Amino acid sequence: MKLKKLHAFVMFALFLTPSFLSAQTADEIIAKHIKAHGGAEKWEQVNALKITGRFTAFSLEKDFTTYKTKCGAYYSDLYLGEQHVFEGFNGKCGWTIDPWQEIDFARNINTIETNVFKQKAEFFTPFLNYKEKGHQVEFVGKENVDGSEMYVLKLTRNDGKSEKWFLDAKTYLEYKCEASWVDFARPAPAEMYFDDFRNVDGIILPFFVERIFWQRDRITQIENVEINPKVDKSLFAMPKRKEISKLSFMQGDWNVKLEFVGRQGTYQERGTTESCIQFASTNLLQEKISYENYFPNTLSINFTYDATSKKYRIAAFNDFTSTFDMFQGDLNENTLIMEDTHISYSENKNANRTCRQFIYTKIDENQFTVENKISNDEGKNWIPQARLTYTRKTNENLSKK
Amino acid sequence: MVSSIINFAHAQETPNQEWNQFRGVNRSGSADNVQLTSFNEKTPKLIWKKKLGDGFSELTIAGGNIYTMISERQDSITGNEFIAAFDAKTGDEIWRTKVDKMFFDTFGDGPRSTPAIGENNIYSLSSYGKLTANSKKDGKTLWQIDFMKEYGSKIPRWGFSSSPVLVGKNVIVEVGGTDSRAFMAFDKETGKEVWKKGEGMATYNSPVVTKINEEECIIFANGRKVYSLTTAGDTLWTYNSPVSNPTGMPIVFDGNKIFISAVRNPAFIVLEVNDNKAKEISRGTSMKNDYSSSLHHNGYVYGFHVAALQCISVETGEKKWTKRGFGKGSLIRLGDQLMVLSDKGKLIQVKATPEAYTELGSIQAIEGKSWTAPSFANGKIYLRNLTEMACYELK
Repeated sequence: MKLKKLHAFVMFALFLTPSFLSAQTADEIIAKHIKAHGGAEKWEQVNALKITGRFTAFSLEKDFTTYKTKCGAYYSDLYLGEQHVFEGFNGKCGWTIDPWQEIDFARNINTIETNVFKQKAEFFTPFLNYKEKGHQVEFVGKENVDGSEMYVLKLTRNDGKSEKWFLDAKTYLEYKCEASWVDFARPAPAEMYFDDFRNVDGIILPFFVERIFWQRDRITQIENVEINPKVDKSLFAMPKRKEISKLSFMQGDWNVKLEFVGRQGTYQERGTTESCIQFASTNLLQEKISYENYFPNTLSINFTYDATSKKYRIAAFNDFTSTFDMFQGDLNENTLIMEDTHISYSENKNANRTCRQFIYTKIDENQFTVENKISNDEGKNWIPQARLTYTRKTNENLSKK
Repeated sequence: MVSSIINFAHAQETPNQEWNQFRGVNRSGSADNVQLTSFNEKTPKLIWKKKLGDGFSELTIAGGNIYTMISERQDSITGNEFIAAFDAKTGDEIWRTKVDKMFFDTFGDGPRSTPAIGENNIYSLSSYGKLTANSKKDGKTLWQIDFMKEYGSKIPRWGFSSSPVLVGKNVIVEVGGTDSRAFMAFDKETGKEVWKKGEGMATYNSPVVTKINEEECIIFANGRKVYSLTTAGDTLWTYNSPVSNPTGMPIVFDGNKIFISAVRNPAFIVLEVNDNKAKEISRGTSMKNDYSSSLHHNGYVYGFHVAALQCISVETGEKKWTKRGFGKGSLIRLGDQLMVLSDKGKLIQVKATPEAYTELGSIQAIEGKSWTAPSFANGKIYLRNLTEMACYELK
């Protein structure tokens, strides 16, 4: 009997606690909110959305296209005023090309932007399967906003970032959201307003979204939503810089024939090795190659493009000599010529120094060569030293190494 | 109603329905004694639409002509800024006179300042700080003063944007110069310096000439200071304001109160002036004017709270209604109606009432970036976007 009383008391006390109250109430509200958006069953069938329409920034209205996927990937091609902006996010990491920042290539987004891209990647409402996503929701209460009663929910995302959502008490659709946004890579508090809800194949979406942060005003007017379109996943990957992309002919797994110049001054075969060349970043192509020329050499070679000098650069580390060397040069059609003639590590000119040159020549999609030459007269005359012939591995002969 | 009685046509002795300076007669953005039918009953008739050189300068109208500032490119990096006159009936250009080189900006090229129309001459401030007097008749330059050269003024981010005001024999404007030359008065006829006052760099504020407690004064709000000066340039009072760099016009109402708003917090304050002492009586965040000015009508302020058209109580700051979707628009009041121009050129007729947002009709009047507030004269509304202007008959 005592136990029964105690149980009843505990249940009553639990019922009175705000967390118990809010958990129940929040879930009830969210259930109705999801239903208002077309229902969970309908949304279960949605794997991706292609959204097109008009986007307004700085009072200029331009076309935009956005893709979103169920796994939280996002891509958008839009204009901020006159500037063409691209954004991508794979669910964890993202990138942006934003000429407003006077950067005309893709850069990684910072943590503030990552939080914003997570919001952009949502299928409009973050409350869909919010528990599975690891979010938490707290019912804050009721509030009158612009003359209408609103349910106010505090959403805390799995990364700890929180947002305040105002759902219309009559329709259960979102009216307003207060969240942290970003302006020129810095945090900015934002208010978002949602309107013009329309039915697209059974799901309900806001076709008008206005976002205000600081004095900025951004308006998204949706014109068309395609459910489960064909999505090219490469859209979400950070695009490579245009100039480094020209070295794509070197990307891949290779068999490498080694030839070194002998005492007679002619190339002599010294066996084969393997090389793997991959893009490691938006402006970084990396090669790792080992070979023996009497002694074992392992080279880590980094190719980049320097926009300021408009030159390609190589930073190569040789673990046999334990040195880092720099080379710089140009790509002319199919030939990349890299030299260290313009690179000096000494304030005093060394008349006896030996300069080196590497000539990368594309033969076709499956073959290229690298010629190594030296010069003792600052590049006036070059003397061949070695030649490496790269042949692309086929699926059959890909090394298990 | 009180405000329209208290405010008075000071700049010139101008027929009521002309728009002779920035924000019109009294700089209140309002015209009284105007009866308009609903757009839904009678759609405004397009009289003309004309291409115009780039700029955000308001269209001022007097004596059957339109006067405004424009700019025109010569190539991608050079161009000129002009003061120009147009026939209000046709929109045809009458004359243009170069006043400066062109101001280029990512957000829109051209001048931001609005000229003031005098009896015989017109007075303009160029983007690079040249105050110029031109003959209304043929545009002939009568005198010009280079603020940067003469007074050490520095060009603000968006160019010199203050709109000059005419008071008696003087033209008064924000100069932003060194050695107490924040604001200056110049002889209208000769351009000769009459007085100088105040400290601070050139901002985006324009002076309002008004009466406070029946005493004539000029109100400036630059940086973080509000100045009240006599027309002779003597200081009546100053107030260290928490509102930073307001662009919108200060609104004087109830005979001794001033509403000042800017886009950053605390957004707006209301000052009450007694015995030449200003005291803050309220402040709030419900009206953040960015680059367009609010207006006051019957105890309520109507304006763009960043990008939302809003009506608030001037007494309490309480928001009465909000309407979104017009971007960062602008507005004027004609009688008991608001003429709201969206930032994309939609003209919306709205009841000037705190009861509720009540739209009486709308037309897509012009296209593209429209950041310049409408002007009204003799039954016609004049609109300007970045590159064109249009005239509609409202009655």
